[in-house]
Amino acid sequence: MDEEFKDYIDIFSQDGVLLKQAPSSFIPFINAIGTIYIWSTETNDGTRPIKRFLEWKPNDVTIDSDVQDQEWAVVNTVQKRSRTLSGNLPADHYNKLRSLKINFEDIKRVAKKNRDLTFFDGSSEPMCTLLFQHGDCFYFIDLLKTYLSVGPSRRDKNIFIVYDADSPEYQELNKTFAALDIKPNDSSFWTMFKNIKEHPYESSLMAFSKVSTYVYRSVEPGNNDILLNDDLQRSLSEIDDNITHSGGDYELVQKPPQLPKRKEFPRCKPLREEQWKAQFTCDGKLEDVESIKTLIFRGGVSPKIREEVWKFLLDYYPWDSTLAEREALVIAKVQEYYDMKLQWKSFTKAQENNFSDFAQRKSLIEKDVNRTDRNLDFYAGDNNQNLQKLNDILMTYVMYNFDLGYVQGMSDLLSPILMLIGNEPDAFWCFVGFMNKLISNFDIDQAGMKDQLGNLFTLLNFVDPFLAKYLETHDCANMFFCFRWVLVWFKRELKQEDVMRFWEVLWTGYPCQNFHLLVAVAILEHERSELMGNDYGFTEILKHINELSCHLDMDLMLNKAEGIFFQIKEADHLTDQIRFIVGLPLIGNHCTDSHELIHFDSPDCLVSSESHPKCSVDRVSISPDEISFDKSIQSNFL
Amino acid sequence: MRSTTKNPLLKVVILGDGGVGKSCLMNRFVSNQFDEHSFHTIGVEFLNKDLDIDGQTYTLQIWDTAGQERFKTLRTPFYRGSDICMLTYAIDDKTSFKNLELWRKEFTYYADLKENNQIPFLVVGNKSDVPREEREVSQLEMETWCNENGITSCIETSAKNASNVQEAFKMAVQHWLRLESRADKNETATNDTVDLSKKYGDNRMSCCVGGSEESSN
Repeated sequence: MDEEFKDYIDIFSQDGVLLKQAPSSFIPFINAIGTIYIWSTETNDGTRPIKRFLEWKPNDVTIDSDVQDQEWAVVNTVQKRSRTLSGNLPADHYNKLRSLKINFEDIKRVAKKNRDLTFFDGSSEPMCTLLFQHGDCFYFIDLLKTYLSVGPSRRDKNIFIVYDADSPEYQELNKTFAALDIKPNDSSFWTMFKNIKEHPYESSLMAFSKVSTYVYRSVEPGNNDILLNDDLQRSLSEIDDNITHSGGDYELVQKPPQLPKRKEFPRCKPLREEQWKAQFTCDGKLEDVESIKTLIFRGGVSPKIREEVWKFLLDYYPWDSTLAEREALVIAKVQEYYDMKLQWKSFTKAQENNFSDFAQRKSLIEKDVNRTDRNLDFYAGDNNQNLQKLNDILMTYVMYNFDLGYVQGMSDLLSPILMLIGNEPDAFWCFVGFMNKLISNFDIDQAGMKDQLGNLFTLLNFVDPFLAKYLETHDCANMFFCFRWVLVWFKRELKQEDVMRFWEVLWTGYPCQNFHLLVAVAILEHERSELMGNDYGFTEILKHINELSCHLDMDLMLNKAEGIFFQIKEADHLTDQIRFIVGLPLIGNHCTDSHELIHFDSPDCLVSSESHPKCSVDRVSISPDEISFDKSIQSNFL
Repeated sequence: MRSTTKNPLLKVVILGDGGVGKSCLMNRFVSNQFDEHSFHTIGVEFLNKDLDIDGQTYTLQIWDTAGQERFKTLRTPFYRGSDICMLTYAIDDKTSFKNLELWRKEFTYYADLKENNQIPFLVVGNKSDVPREEREVSQLEMETWCNENGITSCIETSAKNASNVQEAFKMAVQHWLRLESRADKNETATNDTVDLSKKYGDNRMSCCVGGSEESSN
C-alpha cells in the first residue's frame, strides 16, 4: 500500500483552509486551520490509470498532542502514506500527525456554500466540509473540474455532481446539455428555476411547459433521463413543501428532521436489600453486575443498602472483588488516608506561612465548609463534628491531588457522600471516585465545562432545534445559565434525598455517557414554553433557570431524559457528533447500520441482562471529557 | 428584566474574593435577610431592587459571581455593560484586601468600557462587625488604597448587622450620578464653563493628588 503512494506529487496546495465538519475521528481538529493538497501519481505509464486524492492537513503540529495515540485515519480508504511532506521532522511527528484524505474516485458530490465546500460520497452524510478562509474556492473547483467530470446539479448550481466520465450517463448528459444549449450559469434554464423558487405561481405554468418539453424530449428513457426527471420532480415538490403562503408573500421554511416518537420510561422501585444480597456468591463476589446496575439505573438504591452500594458505584470497591479482597483493601486504604491526613496536619505555622498556595486552599476550604448544606441537621450548629470531617477530607484531597487542590463545588459533591457514609476514610475514597468522574469540570481553564456546555447545546439543537434557535438568537447559545447544573450535577437544584437518588442513577453510566446532559435537555424542553412564551432574554432565562432550584421533579426529568436518549438513538438523521457525545458507536462512512452495534435497546432488554453488555458506553474509547482531562493533565505539566 | 416601570436600570457587579460576603451584601440589601451559612455562589446570580434617590427611583440589577480565580471565564462575560462595580473585601482578611487590585484590573479589562468613561468603582470593606482584634485592614488603609487608585467612594459595611449596606448601594448610585452628570457636562462644556462637579474628584486626576473628601467617615 505504501509503495503505491510513493509516486505521488502534489499538484495543488492552498493554505488557510479550516476543517469545519469531518468524521468523528477528526473531531479534535474541527475548526483547526490547515492546508489542502491535491496529490496525483506522477505519470500515466499506461499500465494503470492516474490516481489522485485530496488531503487536508492541520497546520499546527502541536494540536496533535490531544490525539497522539490515534492512528492516521482516511476517509473511505484507509491507507498510510510513507512519503513525507516537507522538511526533516523526526518520523515520530508524522505518526502523530493526522491528515484527512479523500480519494478522487470516492467524491460523488461537492456542495459549495459561500466559502465552504462539502464533499459527499453518495450517502447523505458528508465526508467533510472545508472552509476556504483566504478568499474563494473557485480555483480549487476549477481544478477539480479538470480532473473530475463535474456538472452542476440541476437543483442547485452550487452543488456539483461527479459523473463517471466513461459512463453513458455522463455522455448522454453532455449531449442533452448540448442539445438544450444549457450552460451551467445564468442560462434560461437556471433563470427559470430561480423564478419558480421566487415567484412560484407566476412562473410555474410557464416553467411546467418547459419542464415537460425538456423531460419528454429525451428520446430514450435512459438512466440519465430518469435521474433528471427525478431531480426535477424532487425540486418541484420541494418547492411545494417548503413554501408557506401568507398573503402573497412566500417564505422558504425548512422543516427540521423529525425524531421518532418519544416513549415513556416510568421510574421503578429502588434496588432492595434482598435483590442485592441475592447477587453475592459465597465468597462475596457480585454475580451479575450488569443487571444490578440496570436496577439501580431504573430506580436507584434503597437507603438501607445505599452505603455499601455506593462504595461499588464510586469505584472504591472493585465490582469483581471478593469479600476478603474488600476487607484487605479497606485496611490498606484507611492507612493510606491517615498517612495523607498526617501530612497536612503536621504542617507548622511557619511552613504554612511560607506555602501560600497551601494556605490559600486551606482558607477557602474553611470558608466553604462553613457554608455547605448547613440547613441540614447533619451539618447544622456550631462545632459540628461533621463539619470538621468535611474540612479534613477536603484538606486531605488537596494533599492527594495537589495539582487540582480545592475548587468551589467540591464541598457540594462531598457533602451527601459524607452524610451517608460518615466514616472519614471511606467517605474520602468514595469522594475520590466521584471526583474521578467529574474531574474535568474543575479544569484550570474550565475547558471541561466549556466542552460540556457546548455538547449540551449540540444535543438540545438536535432534540429541540426551535428552542436551540431561540437561545441562539437571544445570546444564550453558550448555555452559561446551565453552569451550576453541570458543575455539581444538579446538587444545588435538588433536595438532599433526591440528589442521592439522582447521583446513584447517573453513576451507573446508563443508558449512555453524558446522560446528565440529556437530563438538562429534558428540563430545558420542559421549560420551553415558559422561556419562549415570555420572550425571555438572557437575564430572564438565567433568573428563571436559577429559580428552578428545588422545584424540579427528578423522576419526571429522568423519565423524559431516557425517552430523549432513545429518540436520539433511533433517529434517522443521527450524526456522529451526537453519537460521540452520548457514546454510541460511531458510524464513519463505512458502517451504515448502526442498530446492530447498539445493544441497549429497551427497558425489557435491560432487565434480562445476559451475555453481552447492555450499554455501549465502553465501546467508544475517547469521550470529550477524557480529551479535556488529557488537556488538563498536560497543562499541569507545562 | 421585564420592566413594569420605566425606572432607570443600573447594572451593579459585586466582585471580590471567595467568602468576603458578596452574596450576603446582596441579600441584605435586596431582602434584608442574612444567613451566615448560606451557600457559596456557583455560577452567576442576580437580583433586582428598587432604590429611591432624591425622588427618583432606580432599579438596581445586582450581579453576584463566584469568587474563585478558576471561574474567571464564567464571570467575566457578565462585566459588560456594568454601571457600577463594587470591589469587596473582608476587613478580617488581609489577602482579600490585597486582591482588590486584581479585581479592579479584571473588571477594567473585561467591562469593555467606552473611552473616557470613568469606571464607577465603590470599595466595600465588609464584616465590620468582627471584634476589633480580628480586624486585619484598617479604615485608613482602605482610604489610602482608594486615593492611590483614583477611587473616590469607599465604605465599611456589615451584612450581618445591616450596618451601612443600604448606604453602600446608595453611595454607589450617587457616585454613578456624579459621573454621568460630569460626562454630560464634558460633552457640552465650553472653555469658560466652570465644572462644579470637580469638587467631587477629577477623573483625570494625577496619581499623586489626593481626592478622598468623599470617603466614608
